[in-house]
Amino acid sequence: MNPSVRVLSIVPDKPVEVAVDETGAPAPAKPMLKFERVGFEYDGRTIMSNVSFGIRPGELVALLGPSGCGKTTILNLVAGFLQPTEGVAFIDNREIAGPSPDRGVVFQAAALFDWMTVADNISFSLRCAGRPKAERRQVAEEMAALVGLSGFENSYPYQLSGGMRQRVGLARVLAAKPKVMLMDEPFSALDVQTREVLQEEVLRIRERTGCTILFVTHSIDEAVFLGDRIFLLTDLKDGAFDELAVDLPSPRATGENRLHPGFIRLREMIYRKMRH
Amino acid sequence: MNSAALLAKRRYLALAILSPLSILLLWTFVTVQGAVPATILPSPAAVTASFLDMIQRGYSGIGIWTHIGASLWRVGIAFVAGSALGIAIGLLRGRVPAVDALFIVPSELVRPIPPLGLIPLFILWFGIGELSKILLIFLSVLLIMMVNAQAGSRSCALDALRAAQSMGAGRWQTFRFVVLPSALPQIMTGLRVSMGTGLTILVASELLGGDRGLGFVILDASSFFRTTYVFAGIILIGLIGLISDRGIAYIAKRVVHWEGKR
Repeated sequence: MNPSVRVLSIVPDKPVEVAVDETGAPAPAKPMLKFERVGFEYDGRTIMSNVSFGIRPGELVALLGPSGCGKTTILNLVAGFLQPTEGVAFIDNREIAGPSPDRGVVFQAAALFDWMTVADNISFSLRCAGRPKAERRQVAEEMAALVGLSGFENSYPYQLSGGMRQRVGLARVLAAKPKVMLMDEPFSALDVQTREVLQEEVLRIRERTGCTILFVTHSIDEAVFLGDRIFLLTDLKDGAFDELAVDLPSPRATGENRLHPGFIRLREMIYRKMRH
Repeated sequence: MNSAALLAKRRYLALAILSPLSILLLWTFVTVQGAVPATILPSPAAVTASFLDMIQRGYSGIGIWTHIGASLWRVGIAFVAGSALGIAIGLLRGRVPAVDALFIVPSELVRPIPPLGLIPLFILWFGIGELSKILLIFLSVLLIMMVNAQAGSRSCALDALRAAQSMGAGRWQTFRFVVLPSALPQIMTGLRVSMGTGLTILVASELLGGDRGLGFVILDASSFFRTTYVFAGIILIGLIGLISDRGIAYIAKRVVHWEGKR
């Protein structure tokens, strides 16, 4: 009952510093998502520079850090909402040029279209792609069922609770069948119970769809519970950040892991790291 | 609906009815006292008599429905054309900086000019017929709707735009499904404001001459000191304003069903 927790401190242009309990092999050569020395400046201010990483297909990487550390900027760069001011960001070895349905985003405040029903929100990407009405309806019903919203297809977002709104946000991204799901602190405004249920939902959906997920959070618990790997971000101006591999028992999508000694140990370790 | 909400609704209705009734009461009281001469402020009874007379026999030999119809036609066509064009230009100005640059100086230069000040020019350019009257109302509706639609299109949330783009929406789809619905609450408010203003300009526009229309009735009656008919005309315009405003508000509530619910 001793999960292997490996910690690699990655500092560009420097060798790997710390390596605790080195079991796993290094990442396979073909990442689905890749940053090569990416930098971003805004209003003449450097938000990040020289950031490099690779994310494998099917991986769930949690970007953990305090507000202002640049974690949302990474997400916006992957989404194509922002363009790097230096370096290159790749998806499937193609340079990211702008937003596209292969990278779906779940927003912190859901960002649903209040003027559309739940079904129309969910099937919006199909509408944009010119798919026929019957298909849209069918996909909306399937996705609503997948996120536990069956029976709410004809409701409007303002008639739903915060947790249900985020379920719609999740479903509309899934309907577009993205390669990567980008989640920007999607559950931070929800109460603890709802948040935990939805975290388990994310893991369940990942098991079903095999989707690659980049998850931005400022909650240590959330990062440890969800992530295969955690990027521990404090200041990205020199491109350095710590990286931790999480190895908790499978299936992950059960609340039991929250009580696992490995979960608690990792949480404590990150807490001390971030404090210091 | 629960009983508290029902009670609140009844109280609202009671106040909405009580307020005009008390004005009427005050009016009756002042005129019965004889404190003001009837040519300045006629009694409600005298106004009602003229009102009924106008409904039955028309004014200056023309049926009242012809007067009402002439006014509604002018306001109606100017309102429809002005708001359609104003909304289109306003939305474009909100989303395309080049379009905004084209319109900003001319529209902001014209907007503060009172329509009355434009009447001499409009007579010179378009004569004293229907065209002048309609164009004067059209212009004021256009300017109001442009401002509202532009502000509305800018009220669109950044996350909503980004969400649409990341789900594959092109420029037109983003506009049609996100920008336009986001702007609708403000557009609806603009329609109510511009309808009110349109009716105001109507009276001014009928200064331009002609022999029909509610504005004509009011102006003609006032120049002959037929004060009761002035009041009757004013009340008719007021009623049209009240009905059209409630109508637009009713439609707005159904179109923009999500407003204020989050």
